[in-house]
Amino acid sequence: MMYKVVVPGDFISDEVDRAGEGTYVDNGKIYALNYGIVSDKGAIKVVALSGKYVPTMGDVVIGRIVELSYPFWIVDIASPYEARLHLSDFSRGAERRIDFSSMSNYLDLGDWIIAKVQKVDALMRVDLGLEDEIKIDDRGRLIEISHTKVPRVIGRSGSMIKMLKEKCKCFIFIAKNGRIWIKGQDENMNLATQVVLMIANEAHTSGLTDRVAHFLDSYEEKEK
Amino acid sequence: MKEEGIELIKDGKRLDGRGFEELRPIKIEVGVLKRADGSCYFEMGNNKALAAVYGPREMHPRHLQDAKTAVVNYRYNMAPFSVDERKRPGPDRRSVEISKVSRAALDPVILKEYYPKTAIDVYVELLQSDAGTRTAGINAASVALADAGIPMKDLVSSIAAGKIGGEMVLDMNAPEDNYGEADMPVAMIARTDTITMLQMDGRFTKEDFKRGLVLAKKACHEIYELQRAALLDKYSERAGEGGEE
Amino acid sequence: MGLDIVEDIRKDYVYDLVGSGKRIDGRGFLDYREISVERDLISKAEGSALVKLGDTSVLVGVKLEPGTPFSDAPNKGIIMTNAELRPGASPDFETGPPNENSVELARVVDRGIRGSGTIDLEKLCIEEGEKVWMTFIDIHALDNDGNLVDAAALGAIVALLHARIPNEHYGITGADDTLAIRDTPVAVTVVKIRDAILVDPNLSEETAATSKLTVISNADGTLSGVQKSGREGLKEDEITEMVDICIEKAGEIRSKHLG
Repeated sequence: MMYKVVVPGDFISDEVDRAGEGTYVDNGKIYALNYGIVSDKGAIKVVALSGKYVPTMGDVVIGRIVELSYPFWIVDIASPYEARLHLSDFSRGAERRIDFSSMSNYLDLGDWIIAKVQKVDALMRVDLGLEDEIKIDDRGRLIEISHTKVPRVIGRSGSMIKMLKEKCKCFIFIAKNGRIWIKGQDENMNLATQVVLMIANEAHTSGLTDRVAHFLDSYEEKEK
Repeated sequence: MKEEGIELIKDGKRLDGRGFEELRPIKIEVGVLKRADGSCYFEMGNNKALAAVYGPREMHPRHLQDAKTAVVNYRYNMAPFSVDERKRPGPDRRSVEISKVSRAALDPVILKEYYPKTAIDVYVELLQSDAGTRTAGINAASVALADAGIPMKDLVSSIAAGKIGGEMVLDMNAPEDNYGEADMPVAMIARTDTITMLQMDGRFTKEDFKRGLVLAKKACHEIYELQRAALLDKYSERAGEGGEE
Repeated sequence: MGLDIVEDIRKDYVYDLVGSGKRIDGRGFLDYREISVERDLISKAEGSALVKLGDTSVLVGVKLEPGTPFSDAPNKGIIMTNAELRPGASPDFETGPPNENSVELARVVDRGIRGSGTIDLEKLCIEEGEKVWMTFIDIHALDNDGNLVDAAALGAIVALLHARIPNEHYGITGADDTLAIRDTPVAVTVVKIRDAILVDPNLSEETAATSKLTVISNADGTLSGVQKSGREGLKEDEITEMVDICIEKAGEIRSKHLG
């Protein structure tokens, strides 16, 4: 399959009923809306190579507490839109009542969390919900790539991320908004970071999985 | 502004040897700035334009936000050293007007509805100027917007046509612009031949004007191909056949 | 806010009317509103004109002062055009530094006068390299019901045509006291709403329009200024049609008000 890069306004196809994300239809023809790669399976889409993350319901994101605004924590999710987490979400059960002064005992400014986007309304207010009260701790490392590269880091049916976890011997969690949490020994985290950045840089190319596998294998060899 | 004086057409050729419809050499580089979300360096003859796009990002002040769409801001600025006689830093009236018409040149293609309440900020710096700077700026900005991943229906291309020494020409340099009879900067969507910016300054006939539009259309098509090629070029290494995910 | 909603409703109304070939005030698509021109009403100014296009009202004052010429044009007078969109003229106008609309208005009017060579700048030379007349054209928008530019441009040319050079006041003897005006540029603005071209948009029409084009033409039909604005593009044939309309309407205005 050829990876075809298109620019906005490029003609893609006449099959207007297959027009998908990243395209628009004008006079019976599909044109590109995004600067990106044409994806031809099923719907005809143009996957953007750059651009900001806009949250949608169901996305799992890694966010950072930037403001305590009772009864919400305001969360930066690497998007033009801020998100908020209601404190009732944190306290399971009615007994635990959190007031403003004790908010920071649970989540403080600068804390990182994993959360799910529960709702985005018409005014672009983004509500988050904590899945398992996961606060990202100090162990490990957080890196950030463009959200557009996340599918590549995951790979088809998770093949790429699986290979990374095995060969780098790290815990790796990739969030939809491009933030990645890596945990492991220092050299392993370094390797994982290097490979993730490599994938992000070459996300538009083909044969990437093989190249990454090759790189990891030869690294392993060198270490022996 | 339109002075008499130097002979701009000699023996059927322009002072720099170009043909009447010949554009100055163009060089385009995509993604040249690290901090900006999208960027483009655009040279057109001696013009050096650098466009940086930030956004979509949170819009401040809040009361200027649009609840339904992004707000596109365009700021054209000439560096003090960009011209013969040093230009005092800061926005002058000319820059304010150019910013307004340039923003309007790009507005029609941007899918602003995708990012309500945000700002898309376009900053165009002219590092060196030799007439036609607003057109160089728009050409650069169009590429920078694509580079930033802003969804757009089309790219926008821009050129100035004009009348010098009694002849209609394209892409005037500074002496031609200063001593010519008229100039008309144009911006266009090459795919649909839709004009998104049109100004005219000086004095010429309706027929000259129509001819100017025809010439500008031809030039915009040429420029579009170069803009497109530069964008494709950025990802061309190792984008090839046969492959998997 | 409330104003936006009212504007949206009016936009739809204008839109629907145009679809049935009508305008809010009952005009034909190619008709101007009633134009009134009153001149020499500000005695402190060397020239002045109050132009009304329907409910749009613009006062233009011309002041002349001796000053130093630019170094690259030692024997030429200077023209400076400025526009103020006074807050009293509209709830949308604010005090403060000139915004892009007032800057554009001034520069477009200026372009028409300068490009056409309306004022013979060499005749404004008092002493080469030392002293020339500076012509200040100040546009004061008093009431905005759309199409300030046509009113401003008409006011400017009327004020210039009848301006008196204040020679006596500055102790200059034996000189002409009228400006050497060589042409009569007239600005005509049209808008596109749906597929129709409308001349002299009022405020509702300006807001509802997808595109606006101002064409400044001279007595011999040549052009001295073109400015497009608006949020959508125009096709070549639409533009040429608009230019033709504007040149024709300019001729009508010229014969009625600048004869």
